[in-house]
Amino acid sequence: MGWEPEARDALLRLAVDLKISENHLRDLMDWLEEIALREQSMIEGILGSQPIVNFTSDPRLGRADKLKRIKEEVRRRRFPRLARTEDAIRARIRELKLHPEIRLTVPSGLEGGRLQVELSGSSYDEFKRLIAKLTEAATDNRVREIFALLAGHTVEV
Amino acid sequence: MQFFQPQEVIVERGSEASPIYRNLRTTLPGVPFRIVDAVAAESDRTNVSARTFGVAKKRIVLTRHKGEFFKKCPGSEGQVCCNYFVINFASNCPMDCSYCYLQEYLADNPELKVFSNVGDLLKEGDELLSKHRRFFFRIGTGEITDSLALEPYIGFAREVVPFFADQPNVVLELKTKSDCIDGLLGLDPKDRVVVSWSMNPQHLIDLDEHETASLSERLIAARRCQNAGYRLGFHFDPLVEYPNWEVDYEEMLNQLFSSVDWRRIAWLSMGVLRLTPSLKRIIRVRFPRTRLLTGEQVPCPDGKLRYFQPLRVDMYRRMLGWIRHAAPTVKVYLCMESKEVWEQVFGFAPSCEKELGNQVVSSF
Repeated sequence: MGWEPEARDALLRLAVDLKISENHLRDLMDWLEEIALREQSMIEGILGSQPIVNFTSDPRLGRADKLKRIKEEVRRRRFPRLARTEDAIRARIRELKLHPEIRLTVPSGLEGGRLQVELSGSSYDEFKRLIAKLTEAATDNRVREIFALLAGHTVEV
Repeated sequence: MQFFQPQEVIVERGSEASPIYRNLRTTLPGVPFRIVDAVAAESDRTNVSARTFGVAKKRIVLTRHKGEFFKKCPGSEGQVCCNYFVINFASNCPMDCSYCYLQEYLADNPELKVFSNVGDLLKEGDELLSKHRRFFFRIGTGEITDSLALEPYIGFAREVVPFFADQPNVVLELKTKSDCIDGLLGLDPKDRVVVSWSMNPQHLIDLDEHETASLSERLIAARRCQNAGYRLGFHFDPLVEYPNWEVDYEEMLNQLFSSVDWRRIAWLSMGVLRLTPSLKRIIRVRFPRTRLLTGEQVPCPDGKLRYFQPLRVDMYRRMLGWIRHAAPTVKVYLCMESKEVWEQVFGFAPSCEKELGNQVVSSF
């Protein structure tokens, strides 16, 4: 796909300002092209959208943070349903209010359909206590909902 | 379906005695034939014009196949496999689907080749099937070409169907997106040959399955094959997700099940669109306006991009529901999917490829 001069200029400005590396730039170019094709929109319009302008102009953010947030924003627009499903799973994990030493995560892109548990204890008693908390959390309906989301079911919010 | 008219047929010296050559001569009277000493040298000379994949599809190269004809289907790493064997009687295809993996697989060797030594193929098949009589083979010819798109010109299926029909331990699958089945109708498949179609809604055929038969042409051809005694197969592969895909696919299934008797369907398979990063780059160049690349595809452990798992599982489940509604006991399997996806769609996963292969052919 050829890039129009306006699109090229918009990305070039961003790339120069944020010193974007080749790999990040390649991801951004692919996602922008695919969004533009799917939404029948202009790349310069996507880069000029309010959330991205807000990140680029935020004086509190450093270069790396700006790039991270802009990339995440473009990714969310490129993969909207994936992002929504990831958000819904993260929200349920947060609502479980697990002990900080228990981490629940799902794989990148949700591939594999598995919920991963990471747990660390510094003593036998702490370990046992954490296991008990995890066992209690497993009975929470939100865990069931996480697995339903991973298996492609619609879950009411 | 449009009549395929190659610009030229290049014949490797020594192939003139084959039935394929005679058939080509008879069916393509207006096409120039050129005899060459070696196809490899000829390919090198014409490399400039054959550089693009599309150009290579415009001429047929008739040559001898030097290796083994029968191979195990490579499947995809880590995915549940259906224990399938393939025969490569040709390489590349006159059709031009946007998503075709041959664009990558045959990028360095894109000539539309047809192999002339059918006698060697049958001899190899006889040895293999005789040696393993206790094993039931499921063999297809549509791995690196379309099984029937060239049939009106080369008559390959007419040469091999009678052989396979007489074997006790094999089912031959001819997989196509064409309606080129006339040559099959006078043969007796003896329940050993399945003619199968890759299926997609007409909307997608119009956009991305260039030079193929329309949906209704495929269904008419399927009904004619069924009436001639063939079992049928249908592959919903690649399943493509787009706005309102479910309306089109449900309608396609309704058309399918009102066109053929589902009790004569040997198997159905489903597989979502799969792309490697390299194939994606090729598609971007060859089909820059296709929407296939704009779906929510993510990298999977085998290196291929697929729709993210919850999305594709939902697609499979919906398809399965529509299929089961019309054809409650028809065999359905997934192509190149993980055990986790099998579990989420069917509630079980085959324990090994032999189990799945045996299930698929259990009615033969």
